[in-house]
Amino acid sequence: MKKILIVDDDPNIIDYLTTLFEDNGYSTFSARDVKEGLEIAKKETPDLITLDLEMPEEWGPRFYRKMCQEKKLKNIPVIVISGLSGGDHAIGKAVAFVSKPFDRENLMKIVKETLQ
Amino acid sequence: MSDEILIIDKDTSHAKALGVYLERKRMEAYLASTCEDVMVLFDNISTEIVLADPGLPDMQMISLLKQIKTTHPKLQIIVMVTPDQFDHAMAELKHDAVHYLMKPVKSTALDMAMYQARSWISLNSRLEANEKKLKVFRHTQNLFQQLFDEVPCYISVQDRQFRLTATNRMFKNDFGDEIGSHCFEVYKHRGSPCQHCPVADTFKDGQPHTTEEVVTSKSGEQYNVITWTAPIRNGDGDITQVMEMSTNITQIRQLQDHLTSLGLMIGSMSHGVKGMLTALDGGIYQLETGLEKNDKERTQRAFGQVKQMTGRIRKMVLEILYYAKSRELRYQSTDMVEMADKVVGDAMAIASKNGVRLEANISPSLGFVDVDPTWLQAALVNFVENAIDACTYDRSKDDHIVKVDAFETASDRICFIIQDNGMGMDQETREKMFTLFFTSKGSQGTGLGLFIANRVIRQHGGSINVESEIRKGSRFQICLPRSQSDPPKRVDIPGKELETEKDETDNQK
Repeated sequence: MKKILIVDDDPNIIDYLTTLFEDNGYSTFSARDVKEGLEIAKKETPDLITLDLEMPEEWGPRFYRKMCQEKKLKNIPVIVISGLSGGDHAIGKAVAFVSKPFDRENLMKIVKETLQ
Repeated sequence: MSDEILIIDKDTSHAKALGVYLERKRMEAYLASTCEDVMVLFDNISTEIVLADPGLPDMQMISLLKQIKTTHPKLQIIVMVTPDQFDHAMAELKHDAVHYLMKPVKSTALDMAMYQARSWISLNSRLEANEKKLKVFRHTQNLFQQLFDEVPCYISVQDRQFRLTATNRMFKNDFGDEIGSHCFEVYKHRGSPCQHCPVADTFKDGQPHTTEEVVTSKSGEQYNVITWTAPIRNGDGDITQVMEMSTNITQIRQLQDHLTSLGLMIGSMSHGVKGMLTALDGGIYQLETGLEKNDKERTQRAFGQVKQMTGRIRKMVLEILYYAKSRELRYQSTDMVEMADKVVGDAMAIASKNGVRLEANISPSLGFVDVDPTWLQAALVNFVENAIDACTYDRSKDDHIVKVDAFETASDRICFIIQDNGMGMDQETREKMFTLFFTSKGSQGTGLGLFIANRVIRQHGGSINVESEIRKGSRFQICLPRSQSDPPKRVDIPGKELETEKDETDNQK
């Protein structure tokens, strides 16, 4: 079973994405900030990461920078899910930028394609 | 210096002899032997010296001379009399004459008398000129003092030790009459000179300098000022003092801040709305799939989420409406115990969802208070929800608790203490938490909640006291007067007021 790590500061969104991904046959982990996200990523080596941009303390791009410094994490695809306008350039190497509120089917299509 | 002289003497041959003598001294002498002669001549010549024998014991000439002296006070009268009339003449004319000569007049005595008369005339004219100058000087001084005082900026003159030697009216109004104090004490309440001081720079290089500063008035208000300096030099060209002129640009800076805030608001609000809509979407998805799968637990959780999101969206819309619209508070006598229970009840669901214990200790004797129940309740809920958020965001410990105490003080004020052991606030957050659009909650805050809560409490005549320590938690004490003595206050549109809300610094740590 493919593993997805959800990094978002809003517990409601974590709840939503967890249910959605699990309903589609993926196992999930979640983190509410950059620090926790990196810890879980190192421990679980997920197949995909969804990343919010704006979070208290450290924000999404920093997570990406730090994760790229880790050999075993740097090739994990990242989907940015954020409500930040103009956030689509924040992480240039992200496989997709999904704007909140997102279209569920579109998101699942991107996830499935990325994990194939 | 006068070139003309009027010689009055009944003894015309004596007069003539004097005339000849004086003409040799380059003077133009006019001779008169009667009062009539004097009057005619006096109208036609501009003499400033009269050499007169008053012709005693006849008093006619004496009175004429006295009269002329009153109309021409600058006239110098030299009296010449025979020795037997000397005392009489002096007794009659007294100070009206500048000199008394004994007849027959000796040339040396006459020269001395003439010299004295001319000195008096010269002194008089110099005195007059000085008086005129003094008048002009006083007028100019008055004008400059008025300019100095009425200029719509703060002016101070400082010596090398930055001591104030002169200040204008506006300065005195806002910073006090602090002549002799140091500039840095008065403007910045500092104990030592500022690091970059334009006055010091001007003393050093004699050039004008400009800086932008934040200064604190005697009443504790902070002003943004633009400061210009200029050297004041003595006669030798050395700089002895420096003038500092500061223009208050607080309103301009506030307007700039406000415009920046408005820009931020649009960003932060649209971001917040997007987050809430996504979460609502999530709730609906879970509700749908929960029903499909007949998963009771999921359905229940989803329902809770939809309810919470609807509540949040409602709150945000209300806040935007409050911010956008001018309205009056509607005071009514309100049961405070009931309100406190509602506040705690409203927050209980969020607290338990986030694993935060919420403890309430509401005194049953709070009684009734004049408040606008809708807005006061919203404000109090805001403080409690913030306390819960502070716990939710805190990862440094597992056991989180929010305590709400409500009680009545001896001075008949109703106080609420909302205390949490969450993440606490750093100094920047503490200073800015009541500022419009400031949020420390990233995508989940709009920066409206505490701004409005603070405003509502203040409009109720209340006070907010905040203590906070990072990673230890925060304590908010909100106190309200029991009755509103003033008529309900109007809630201004903050955008028009150009006011950046700050916490009550006197109460704040």
